[in-house]
Amino acid sequence: MSNTPDPILEGLQRGWKVLGGKHGALPERITCDVAIIGSGAGASITAELLTKAGLNVVIVEEGPLKSSTDFKQREPEAYASLYQENAGRKTKDKGITILQGRSVGGTTTVNWTSSFLTPPDTLKFWQDKFGLKDYSVEALAPYFEQAQTRLNIEPWAVPPNENNELLRRGAAKLGIKAEVIPRNVKGCHNLGSCGMGCPVNAKQSMLVTTIPFALDHGATLLVETRAEKLIIENGRITAVQCIAVRPNASPVNAAAAPTTVVAKHYVLAGGAINSPALLMRSKAPDPHQRLGSRTFLHPVAITTAVMGRTVAAWTGAPQSIYSDHFLHTQPVDGPIGYKLEVAPLHPVFFGANLPGFGEKQAELFRQYPNANVMLALMRDGFHDQAVGGKVELRADGSPLLDYPLTDYVLEGARRSMLAMAQIQFEAGATMVYPGHELAAGTSTWAATKAAIEALPMKPLLTKIGSAHVMGGCGLAATEKMGVTRPDGQHWQLENLSIHDGSIFPTSIGANPQLSIYGTVNRLAQGLAKRLSGKEVTLA
Amino acid sequence: MHRPPHLRRRSFLKLGIGSAIVLAVAGGTIALMKPGLVEGKLSPSARLVLTRVAQAMLAGTLPAEPDRQKRSLDALLQRTDAFLVGLPVHVLAELDQLLGLLASAPGRRWLVGLSASWEDATAAETYGALKSMLASGTELRIQACQGLHDLVMVPYFSGEESWAVLGYPGPTPV
Repeated sequence: MSNTPDPILEGLQRGWKVLGGKHGALPERITCDVAIIGSGAGASITAELLTKAGLNVVIVEEGPLKSSTDFKQREPEAYASLYQENAGRKTKDKGITILQGRSVGGTTTVNWTSSFLTPPDTLKFWQDKFGLKDYSVEALAPYFEQAQTRLNIEPWAVPPNENNELLRRGAAKLGIKAEVIPRNVKGCHNLGSCGMGCPVNAKQSMLVTTIPFALDHGATLLVETRAEKLIIENGRITAVQCIAVRPNASPVNAAAAPTTVVAKHYVLAGGAINSPALLMRSKAPDPHQRLGSRTFLHPVAITTAVMGRTVAAWTGAPQSIYSDHFLHTQPVDGPIGYKLEVAPLHPVFFGANLPGFGEKQAELFRQYPNANVMLALMRDGFHDQAVGGKVELRADGSPLLDYPLTDYVLEGARRSMLAMAQIQFEAGATMVYPGHELAAGTSTWAATKAAIEALPMKPLLTKIGSAHVMGGCGLAATEKMGVTRPDGQHWQLENLSIHDGSIFPTSIGANPQLSIYGTVNRLAQGLAKRLSGKEVTLA
Repeated sequence: MHRPPHLRRRSFLKLGIGSAIVLAVAGGTIALMKPGLVEGKLSPSARLVLTRVAQAMLAGTLPAEPDRQKRSLDALLQRTDAFLVGLPVHVLAELDQLLGLLASAPGRRWLVGLSASWEDATAAETYGALKSMLASGTELRIQACQGLHDLVMVPYFSGEESWAVLGYPGPTPV
């Protein structure tokens, strides 16, 4: 039994206003100054700032309220309770599996803590192509600095685990620069279990920072409650209808009357895929057919290596070393660039993500202590052959992302597999398995290179995952080009702001959590000023 | 022709079936199919399919000794049922159709590429058929094989018995 204090249980005992699920029945109607839909990175930064400005806030979260007492470092329970679609959300053709959070704190509760500033070339592209003149490194810097201070974001000072160190070692032998990842942690125990919820509250996720702040300052949190529909009249939202949902997202009682939340202003922050889907269900105006399009994933290609020594990739900070070498060796709008990182390996993640099966794979399973999985996060959204996916609605109103993998993206998968395999061999790999259904393991760089060059890079056969969902309600300086104004307001709905990763007009080219914190920090400070007249800051 | 509700053609097509061969299978099979899931759990025929698939996919990983292997497979299928509980309704509908189709003789023959019955199929025959699905170039056959892979691997590695196979020491106590 853990002796770690649980700030959520303590807050509930102090009388936090939490309803839904086991916390109490939802009321028929609830009124407030601002209704925030979602409780992830963008929603919770907004909630802290608006409550700091004295506004009465209601937060609506589809997932459950889970906290360190619940976090047992076990994948089956974590995937079922903390992730969208049991950690198996897939694109329409099932070519990409998406890891996306679904509990209070959103993906910040389960991410691997990597905290990067938005790359300057990404911001420049937004300025040049989407007219976002205020989105410069200099203009955003103070907002990023506040987020870094608030969430204790610093380069990881502890030596990397072998899983990360081997990326640095292999890259160095090839003259490729690899650097230390900044993380949002305080008193980290180096357990390696970030993806299952931090059991010691070291990760400075929204769950243990901004959400407690907002609840201590009078906010109401509705959990296991899905915002089903925005009621729109004359270019304004008049209410949001919500329903109680089960852990698998189906309604608790399909015949029950919805809970109506009435606010002066609404902030949509359910994350990419879910935010555009709510606007679609609500038949929000979309005169230029931008809604849900340009949804980006940083499609991830992988190679698995068996190293000559123990890696123990399940323990230690999951991500502490990265390389941006292959983002900077070609123009941003040239052949697709990619960021290199490694993945922590726990049994389900390892067993279910390895392509192939059978006797040969059984040998690989037994090499698990020596296994390393390298990741190439491809930077989509900067080329006309990488326009991302489009959110659709199923008949039941649930969202479905249609993301066709183009030859342009898949060519990047091949190049990145070659780079990763070479780094793995330089670092001491004895076998490398490309992430492809038709690949076999090979024991030399020459054989692996030949194998990867010969593989048919096709959707489904090439194993592609994603843990970063962005876009679908893109920012733009004109309404023809996007869904969201540069200040976060919806282009057609005057009392709606969108404050999450869905506003990014391209992918970020880096793990996106700090990009959401920084950009939303500025948007929410502006919104707080408009609604309350007060100046507030995050730190 | 009577069709049970879960086999209505409209919902059937949601599986993403595009190829003529699969439509032909579906046309001939639709009246013969039994549901893959009953009250949210694996039907008896689906349990047989997944048992054979697990024996092929986890060959060399499952215990070789028959009694121990049976206990391991029973536990695996129990975890598969538990895994199903957390899945969204749209995924369950697809799995119901997929497992129903694969359990039928035409589905087994044409979609999996397995001529022996599920009852009689050896692990080697099933392995060869599953590999042929991946190499087929047919979207539905690849999707179906990958769906089976998830249904076997996620529940298998959700069980602590896999830890000994892997050499995973379990979570660090806090």
